[in-house]
Amino acid sequence: MKVAVGEVVLPGDQCEEISLVGEKSKVILGPGLRKEVDGITITKAGTLKKRSPNTYWVDNYQKRYIPSRGENVIGVVVQKAGDIFRVDVGGSCSASLSYLSFEGATKKNRPKVNIGDVVYAKMLVASKDMEPELVCVDSHGKKGRLGVLEEGFVFKCSLNLVRKILNPECPLLNSLKNEWPFELAAGLNGRIWIKAKTMRETIAVGNAILGCEYLNTDEIKSMCTNIASILAGHVS
Amino acid sequence: MITDNDELKDFKLRPMKCECNYLNRSDGSAILSQGQTVAVVSVNGPLDIKMQSQSIGKATLEVLFSSKGGKPSIGDRYKEHVIRQTCESAILGCLYPRTGITVTIQELEDYGGFLACCLNACCLALLNAGLAMRHTFAAVSCAIDEQGNIQLDPAPAQLETSRATMTFVFESREKSLVTAFTDGSYSDSAYSEAMERCRSASDLVFQFYKQIVSKYSYVIG
Repeated sequence: MKVAVGEVVLPGDQCEEISLVGEKSKVILGPGLRKEVDGITITKAGTLKKRSPNTYWVDNYQKRYIPSRGENVIGVVVQKAGDIFRVDVGGSCSASLSYLSFEGATKKNRPKVNIGDVVYAKMLVASKDMEPELVCVDSHGKKGRLGVLEEGFVFKCSLNLVRKILNPECPLLNSLKNEWPFELAAGLNGRIWIKAKTMRETIAVGNAILGCEYLNTDEIKSMCTNIASILAGHVS
Repeated sequence: MITDNDELKDFKLRPMKCECNYLNRSDGSAILSQGQTVAVVSVNGPLDIKMQSQSIGKATLEVLFSSKGGKPSIGDRYKEHVIRQTCESAILGCLYPRTGITVTIQELEDYGGFLACCLNACCLALLNAGLAMRHTFAAVSCAIDEQGNIQLDPAPAQLETSRATMTFVFESREKSLVTAFTDGSYSDSAYSEAMERCRSASDLVFQFYKQIVSKYSYVIG
């Protein structure tokens, strides 16, 4: 079946529009699209999207993380093996994190990371044929926001929800941050770390995030004010 | 390949109802009812699996079928095999080498056309899991009675009086045959006629898939 941008697509559909653009200029095929001999084929079910000039992808529902380069993820250290840590990021195999890829780490000065710690790291190498590799520094050797996450609470959700709350157009975080202070780290592997002053506030942030999965912009705003008033004790 | 014969266009399947993401802890799941026949399918993967069952070039697919009684029979193992081969042809396993994908099917109610229901539920669960696929697939069952009449998507009463039952699976691209599963005795011409009828009826299933996917993607997007 022939499909166009913005439509709902199913695996096996063909998109002529992309092949026509591809003849004139370079196109970038994102997740859910695949180049075959007879054109561009869809491989996932969802909505076909385009960003100018020439980037196409399929926005589909997914819970299982497939590592890809450059994404910030939240993982749990499961093993210390010599000079690397094995980190579970929710993919098909655990990722490796070298102890030298922390800010200020040297052979003498090892970072303090223990089994069970939660780390916020960037995917440096991710390919289907190789083990994924994480780093906790940027290319200047600075840690920025990456590193071990102390205390707080981690929960899992769908990959779409993480992308939704990180979208600048989503009002959730902007509305919540005006109500009470909290810290948040969202990993694109479907894990979110939150930390607030009290347990009550932490649970409120978690519920607000999980509750917004199927809501639109206006509904999210009203939900946030609702949660804030419950938390402030106006409504029991 | 699709014949434009008017007689073939006169078909009806039992009403289908589906809920995706029915199980919240699996990567993808679907519950599908076709008439009174109901099946739940859960898909997990790509996962880490044992070294000896890993294959270097593609994902290893494992299908587990559990019947209502819970005891696996030889017939069930045969169904597992049919479903595994059908799913394997649809999934782009080469994108997930050295991993395993597990498909678990639970029978809830069997009122005829159970294998077709399982296969359709599998396809919906795979779509829900977000695994890369070459094409979607649709299964349609039919029965041939003593007089040689072909009945699409038969009810249990029709199955009792039938001479042969058949299940055909078609892919979405060219509507070509992926799997045929037959039981009983029938003539060559009856077989091809049943196949053509099921082929045209598979359109209904593909339309249903599209309808379900649109419903879910508007809510998420």
